[in-house]
Amino acid sequence: MSEVIDGFAVVLEPTNLLYCLVGVVIGMLIGVLPGLGPAATIAILLPLTFGLEPVTAIIMLAGIFYGAQYGGTITSVLLRLPGEASSVVTVFDGHALARQGRAGTALGIAAIGSFVGGTLAIVALTFVAPLVAEFALDFGPPEYTALALLGILLVSTISSGGRLRALTAAAIGLLLATVGRDDFTSAERFTLGNLSLADGLDFVPIAMGLFGLGEILYNLEERHRTVHAPATVANVWPSRTDLKQSGGAIGRGSVLGFFLGILPGGGAVLASLAAYALEKRRSKHPERFGNGAIEGVAAPETANNAAATSSFIPLLSLGIPANATMAVIFGALLIQGVTPGPQLITENPELFWGVVNSMYLGNILLLIMSIPLVGLFVRILRIRATVLAPITVLITLVGAYTVNNSVFDIGLVIAFGVLGYLMKKAGFDPGPMVLAFVLGSLLETSLRRSLLLFDGDPTGFVTRPISGVLLAVLIAVILLPAAQLLRRRTQAAPPATAAASLTGATQEPGPAPAAEAEAAATTPATTTTADRTIRREEPHP
Amino acid sequence: MTKTLPSLGLITVLALTGCGGNLDSDDSGTAAAAYPERAVTLLIGQDAGGSTDLIGRALADPASTDLKQPITVQNRPGANGAVAAKELAAAKPDGYTIMVFVGSLAYITPLAVPADQAVDINNYEVVTGISQDDFVLIAHPQTGFTTVKDIVDAKRPIKFATTGVGTGSQLTQTLLFNQAGVDATAVPFNGGAPALTAVLGGQVDVAAVQLGEAKQQIEAGKATPIVTFATQRPTYMPDTPTATEAGYNVPVQQSRAIVAPKGTPKEVIDRLRTAFGKSFADQDYQTFNAERLLTANEVDGAALLQQWNGSLSTYKDLVAQHKIDLSGK
Repeated sequence: MSEVIDGFAVVLEPTNLLYCLVGVVIGMLIGVLPGLGPAATIAILLPLTFGLEPVTAIIMLAGIFYGAQYGGTITSVLLRLPGEASSVVTVFDGHALARQGRAGTALGIAAIGSFVGGTLAIVALTFVAPLVAEFALDFGPPEYTALALLGILLVSTISSGGRLRALTAAAIGLLLATVGRDDFTSAERFTLGNLSLADGLDFVPIAMGLFGLGEILYNLEERHRTVHAPATVANVWPSRTDLKQSGGAIGRGSVLGFFLGILPGGGAVLASLAAYALEKRRSKHPERFGNGAIEGVAAPETANNAAATSSFIPLLSLGIPANATMAVIFGALLIQGVTPGPQLITENPELFWGVVNSMYLGNILLLIMSIPLVGLFVRILRIRATVLAPITVLITLVGAYTVNNSVFDIGLVIAFGVLGYLMKKAGFDPGPMVLAFVLGSLLETSLRRSLLLFDGDPTGFVTRPISGVLLAVLIAVILLPAAQLLRRRTQAAPPATAAASLTGATQEPGPAPAAEAEAAATTPATTTTADRTIRREEPHP
Repeated sequence: MTKTLPSLGLITVLALTGCGGNLDSDDSGTAAAAYPERAVTLLIGQDAGGSTDLIGRALADPASTDLKQPITVQNRPGANGAVAAKELAAAKPDGYTIMVFVGSLAYITPLAVPADQAVDINNYEVVTGISQDDFVLIAHPQTGFTTVKDIVDAKRPIKFATTGVGTGSQLTQTLLFNQAGVDATAVPFNGGAPALTAVLGGQVDVAAVQLGEAKQQIEAGKATPIVTFATQRPTYMPDTPTATEAGYNVPVQQSRAIVAPKGTPKEVIDRLRTAFGKSFADQDYQTFNAERLLTANEVDGAALLQQWNGSLSTYKDLVAQHKIDLSGK
């Protein structure tokens, strides 16, 4: 327990406090800006963390991740522009509430829910991660083989953009992981005789290219939007009725988000969708959803924060990144010379507890900032892409060079940036590719090590308890979607409804006429401007 | 250490280093007398934070005080230092680019990689030797192994973890078990820490890692030291016999040296050797050596070449004699 308290001492060091603040502010900013997501931002900023202490670096990068969950809400509610994928469902009820003149309430509930979800998840993380790490030494090559396999499979099946595309991307990621000198025979594989490829492709330039540069290029295609700052948000404190209505949603969202965050391939996006669907299914008046139900804001906003936090568990306790953002943070730890794994908590307690405890503080900072600074953050949307994009590209390329002082890496970033852009254009999510790349070398080396240990007998995987259980879960994961598919055919299942309402809301021509009239009556100027903005955006979702 | 630089300042530094690298004028002919007139770049072929990196950084500070010019440490990790060695070979031989060279790249890696990828230390100028790192064979306490004889007497196939293909860890154990007639399977891991974990977790029977890496676990009783592969008992482990004492011929060590490109003027090499001599005498550096269980090997260039070339031919002979293929094919 003293290590937990020492962790607070680490957080309270002025440098760490400063970088926690820097992290959450950056997170909030990129949360507001549609396009640039937390994975991209963290990838771009990776090289800058090189000069920092490991704990300081990860505190800042973690802050970006959960800070983005707060920021994404603001534009969803006020402008119907989800800043983050994890805030897409917040648009439905959040913006409906804004049209009813209750934007403040929506933002207030979202901030409270985010805070509660985030904090509960940290408390759970504090207790769960050391439990997992207790088994650290029992995690040998066979267990890592099973975990890596499970991770890759889950990521590819859950990812957005279709299962076939995700599996294709993951397969390419696995192929990329084989480049380099074979760890077991020192034979050259796909190195084309180039010494820079002898140790394989480096993760950092791949992530910076696919996520960072790829996303910047893709966003350049978007039409320039004019955004007007909305009116001041009044009455942030939700009424007692609002709190009563959303209390349950916040509780359920915390739990659901926590578990979906741990799941490899899960994370904030999935958690927000699932939490919204759950509330809608449970509600006695599902027709209120989409027309300003406060639970429709509370549930997804709570869940995405809980998931953002809990997705640190598999990374910090097992060294397995659960989603794309965690994969980038995995890269950040490697740059710092820290190999995330079961040994992390015992060998590096100040890093582990420093990062975990910084999240309490970060959430408090975000709660304080998110309400009064709303207007300021929205104004950032006015920065033109023509200004922002070149600066970001410059930071990306200079940063890519500095990690290994290698010009070759700049070339890699550009190559993978172009690939990432083409993938996005073709509807491929680069996430599964990056994760499969990270887990691919782990999978291959662990599998081959295991077979050496088992004298080539594959039944060894099943007879060891931990790897046996993991493989059973793996089989369940393969069979479950098939079973669901069968059930879905017989009855209309809720997840399908959620997906339908998601696509429905972005495609429907406009808000309900009655609500629009009401909104126009209460806050004429701003709401109509915002609505106009949305209509202009409509043909270009 | 640049660990405390605030990130904004860092951006500026990054931008400067990004475009200021190759603007130096060509004056290598007359430079020797006035050397050094500007910062010296010290290449490290390993990742930041590893043993080689820490050694290079510990040396850089006192030496730069003596040279009255900064020494910039730059990591160019890849292929056990071959990437950095290639860059060093292409650098101008003016003493402004030098490197911390690891011995295994010169005398063990050539046994495992194709001839065209092997690095020949004789194509460089050696400034000075630095220190040697000894390997120790450790076992999980539950195996009951305390001596090599225990392993032989167990009469069962064993699994041993190595820190990778073409490393001293692989060479030492392969030679030892071959000479002892033990049926042993190598399981390569990526570096010392995971190999050590595999022993602690009981996934393998034994592993050979560097002394400094195993020190803590040996002291905690979680790993049993069996033999070291040093030529004589390291002062840090007086109770553990050497492999030679146990009756096996496995004299394998990791060694490091400061190396310059071929053709660097003799005056420049001498000036650098004097500067690093100041580092070796530095109290902080000596404490650093003791903490990491490193044995000083501060010999001059000729002596170091003799050591390393000798090691290469010894290992080549041993490997041929015992019909060992380190590439594992």
